[in-house]
Amino acid sequence: MIELRDVTVRYGDKLVLDRFSLDIPHCGFTALSGPSGCGKTTLLRVLAGLTRPEGGTVSGLDPSRTAFLFQEDRLLPWRTVSQHITDVLPRSRRGEAGRWLAFAELEGEGESYPGTLSGGMARRLALARCAALGGELLLLDEPFAGVDRPRAARILERLRGLGVPAILATHQPQVLAACGQIISLDGPPLKRV
Amino acid sequence: MKRSFRFVLPLAFWLGVWAAASWAVGRELLLPGPLAVGRRLLALAGTADFWLSVGATLGRVCLGLLWGALAGSALAFLTHFSSWADRIISPAIRVVRATPVVSFILLVYLWVARSAIPWVIAGLMVLPVMWGALSAGLDGMDGNLLEFARAYRFSRLKALRLVYLPALRPQFSAGLLTAFGLAWKSGVAAEVLCPPARAIGSRIQQAKLGLETPDLFAWTLVIVALSLALERLLRRGLERRRGRD
Repeated sequence: MIELRDVTVRYGDKLVLDRFSLDIPHCGFTALSGPSGCGKTTLLRVLAGLTRPEGGTVSGLDPSRTAFLFQEDRLLPWRTVSQHITDVLPRSRRGEAGRWLAFAELEGEGESYPGTLSGGMARRLALARCAALGGELLLLDEPFAGVDRPRAARILERLRGLGVPAILATHQPQVLAACGQIISLDGPPLKRV
Repeated sequence: MKRSFRFVLPLAFWLGVWAAASWAVGRELLLPGPLAVGRRLLALAGTADFWLSVGATLGRVCLGLLWGALAGSALAFLTHFSSWADRIISPAIRVVRATPVVSFILLVYLWVARSAIPWVIAGLMVLPVMWGALSAGLDGMDGNLLEFARAYRFSRLKALRLVYLPALRPQFSAGLLTAFGLAWKSGVAAEVLCPPARAIGSRIQQAKLGLETPDLFAWTLVIVALSLALERLLRRGLERRRGRD
């Protein structure tokens, strides 16, 4: 179990997490649901170790063994689609690029640059890169934003097939429906509802 | 056709102005005409010394450009990532940038061999330009990409290769093009003031001392032509590289 206890995060004067506590199972798919700006992204960033809380504790996970999908794609304009995958793979697994492109249904785009991809394709590439990095836990912020529903469903199934637990922040009902647990949130400051 | 006309017309116009001015002055010692200079240029180009002097100057300018660009780039990273280095080194680089090139030439003359002065001076002029260009680029780096590199556990070397260097390429190219002109001019100026055995600047100095004004003009034309041609070559090389990436 991942345990957050009395976690406080503030951006300037804005209190996003105010002594927030939550238990999240470290298995299966858990969805974080709530209105935009309630603090879901901040919660994921705290779990990934990217945002250091000013108070409280997080236990039950090692941030250095998580893979984080940012809300923005954060692709490198000068790297090809294939290179985005091989860049995060260890040398011994470089041959797997094709597998991850198939995972995201980006076959045939290996030599393309991000500037030539549609919004949905760019999102799928970012997701494939995150999944290829792997680890003990995937932290996915709006993983299927801009991805059409049938494709999102297929990729979500492949994601499950990896056998790696995931925590997803999402608004999409079909993604929520596919998760074993849904944590409904509101805020800011973030609270469970 | 249209393109060559655009090039030929202004050239013909200025050659005409030059010829008219020379005719009006009426003394080759003060202002030789384009024909006299052209004749001298052809005569000089037929000698081995001409090509050896051109090659030596080119080598020195390129060496200066290389060390200045490398040192300026390395110092830009150092001053960006270390506040102590920034406090100590940045003011010194600003002083170098503000110091007139002629002061440096005369100072360096006291410290290094005469043949090394031009490339030392060229590098000193290049260094602050590259440092300034890359420092501005580093300050303006996309924080999201740097955070991505951290989150995806890129080593420092990997982040440098995959994120920093490609992101800084526009600043590097612009800096290098500006620096090239400076390296060329300051390198030749150093050759004129501290003439090495073989150099374009040394030949200019000799022409001046011997009051051989057509030679002076001919060597100046060589400098201008080489500078324009090499800058064009450098620009094309940088653009081709950008296109490939």
